Amino acid sequence: MHNAFLIAKREYLERIRSKAFRVSTVLIPAAFAAIFSLTSLSIRSGSGDHQLVVASNDADLAASVKTELTSGKDTKLSVAVMAPATTADLQGLIAQVESKQIDGYLWLAVTPGQSQPEVTYASRSSADYAGRDHLESVIDDALVREELVKRGMAPVAVGGLLKGVKITTMQVKNGELVRGDSAKHFWGAYIMAFLVYFSVVFYGVNVAQSVVGEKTSRVYEVLLATARPESLMLGKLMGVGGAGLTQMGIWAAFALIYSGSTIAASFGTFGLAAYGVTPLKLIFFVTYFILGFFFYGALSAGFGATVGSEQEVQQFSMLIALPQVAGLVLMPFILGNPNSPVAIALSLFPPCTPIVMILRMAAMAVPWYQLLLSVVLMIAAILCLLWGASRIYRVGILMYGKRPTLPEMLRWMRYS
Amino acid sequence: MAIVELDRISKSYESKVAVKDLSFRIEPGEMFGLLGPNGAGKTSTIRMMIGITMPDSGTVSLFQQPFRRDSLARVGYLPEERGLYKKMKVLDQLVLLGQLHGLDKVTATTRAKSWSERLQIADSLDKRTEELSKGMQQKIQFISTLLHEPGLIIMDEPFSGLDPVNATLLQDTLLELRGAGKAILFSTHRMDQVEKLCDSICLMNHGAAVLAGNMREVKSRFERDRVVIEFEGDASFLNHPVVAEAKNYNGHAELRLKPQADAQQLLRAAIAVARVNKFELVEPSLEEIFIQTVGGRADA
Repeated sequence: MHNAFLIAKREYLERIRSKAFRVSTVLIPAAFAAIFSLTSLSIRSGSGDHQLVVASNDADLAASVKTELTSGKDTKLSVAVMAPATTADLQGLIAQVESKQIDGYLWLAVTPGQSQPEVTYASRSSADYAGRDHLESVIDDALVREELVKRGMAPVAVGGLLKGVKITTMQVKNGELVRGDSAKHFWGAYIMAFLVYFSVVFYGVNVAQSVVGEKTSRVYEVLLATARPESLMLGKLMGVGGAGLTQMGIWAAFALIYSGSTIAASFGTFGLAAYGVTPLKLIFFVTYFILGFFFYGALSAGFGATVGSEQEVQQFSMLIALPQVAGLVLMPFILGNPNSPVAIALSLFPPCTPIVMILRMAAMAVPWYQLLLSVVLMIAAILCLLWGASRIYRVGILMYGKRPTLPEMLRWMRYS
Repeated sequence: MAIVELDRISKSYESKVAVKDLSFRIEPGEMFGLLGPNGAGKTSTIRMMIGITMPDSGTVSLFQQPFRRDSLARVGYLPEERGLYKKMKVLDQLVLLGQLHGLDKVTATTRAKSWSERLQIADSLDKRTEELSKGMQQKIQFISTLLHEPGLIIMDEPFSGLDPVNATLLQDTLLELRGAGKAILFSTHRMDQVEKLCDSICLMNHGAAVLAGNMREVKSRFERDRVVIEFEGDASFLNHPVVAEAKNYNGHAELRLKPQADAQQLLRAAIAVARVNKFELVEPSLEEIFIQTVGGRADA
């Protein structure tokens, strides 16, 4: 064990001091922050600063649509009304859009005797879907408002009726109702699941690369005369895993500072708890990172010992990421049905446990026995993997040249 | 009191027999040469001696007890395939390897510095390994083998790739260590070095020992059937009945005698007809013994 610690210390220090560590420590949260900020910004400014013309042969409807459009939060939208408009005005509107005088126009053609007008929205960008959804609901509201007023309802009463319903989301936890912001909680779950995915795959591949590197530089020839292959492998896993935890620790510290900062406050994201990141979840997040890392790390170490070049490691890294990618792909399903048999089974299947369980924990209060079982199963799987991988490792690191076949690897496991 | 004792060890990989029924002993203060062509089983034998692999049958004893991993703290191994951490600084690397051998940090550092002075690489202690020449790296590895003052030193091709000055430096160091009572196993296919340095040898071919024992004794098993004569005068004695083959280069003759022939008869015949300036009965070189023993059977 003494030797495993010496090897771990060397691995850890070499990683911490490397340029790659510094760069990824800064770049990854920066990329997250950028994505996050851009998303927030685009949501806020998606329909802002827009010049829109509402044209219709029905002046009342056009005015009503304008009221609806400008009454919402989107105060930056300026709307002009052209009514009553005829088809002759259409060319003029197209020219205005073309010459960027306006961003788009809404053409509402009302045909007497039909309850729905024929609506066309034209703009320079055809992919303005978020805007389109918004427009549809605005026009629906305007039609209802106009119809109700026509039938004698007071405009104020109509306004009150059409005000959107607010849903308060609550979570049942340990028999009590807890207030929760589901959208933000999903963000928290998404970031934690992605971090686990990224770190486990990244550091797993790191283990394989480092094994191949030492194999090609023939360091093992010297090390094996002093330390057991098992100690070498364990030391490598601890060193690389420790570097991973350090990096996540740095990120966690940044996240805490960010969540308490004024920037975060201005985006309405004050405190990690707002994202459903409770201390319990953080503990499980770290636990699943460590377990996931040892699971994929042992797999990578065993695999790294069988290959001769870094290129082969690349191909393999795609392969071992698959179970975790499956977890990420199934995210909407798991978040929507966290207690379904499929979600439960996946969260107890060791290769998928880290990501799927984190997602389930975000969506529901996972029963304690399932959490316990998932940890026990993962530890059992890790022990089996460590046993098998170290046997492949001890033979593989001294084999150069031809890549072994699967039967050959199975035979290696029997060598003592 | 043998430091190393191999007793009928065998090892096979898949269908290939790497080592077959091999036995030998190395005593303290002995320089032992493990010889053989490439693929003879030398590295496989060494790997079993230090527990990297286990023999399929037979036993390995180190320091008079059956192989135990903790005996390795008293073994220094310089593998044929040299390997160091490229990005690590030389001193850090030496200290790590010393610590892996059970030294504490302070002792490892002190010894690393003193060995570096001795082998003239003290200036490089602060450099990364990848910045050094191959010969320098080899010296570092040589030091790492000796830091923990092992009782058994195993060196696989220790001088390959070294210039003559550095090769002599390391050679003298090894001789000194032998003088201090260390057992040294030295594996190579360079016969001249073995002949100069080793007290005992084991010649391997196809996994088995084909010749083993004390160097003098091994050589004495081969007849001294070569004669070099420098003479002036009549060369007719070169046709004497004891001579099997003779080459005469203007008074310098190299002869091979017939089996069991008496060289004294030839000397008397020569003196009778010519003035003999030199008459030397030459013992066969290890290389000749090697070729004669392994013959065409060697793979390389």
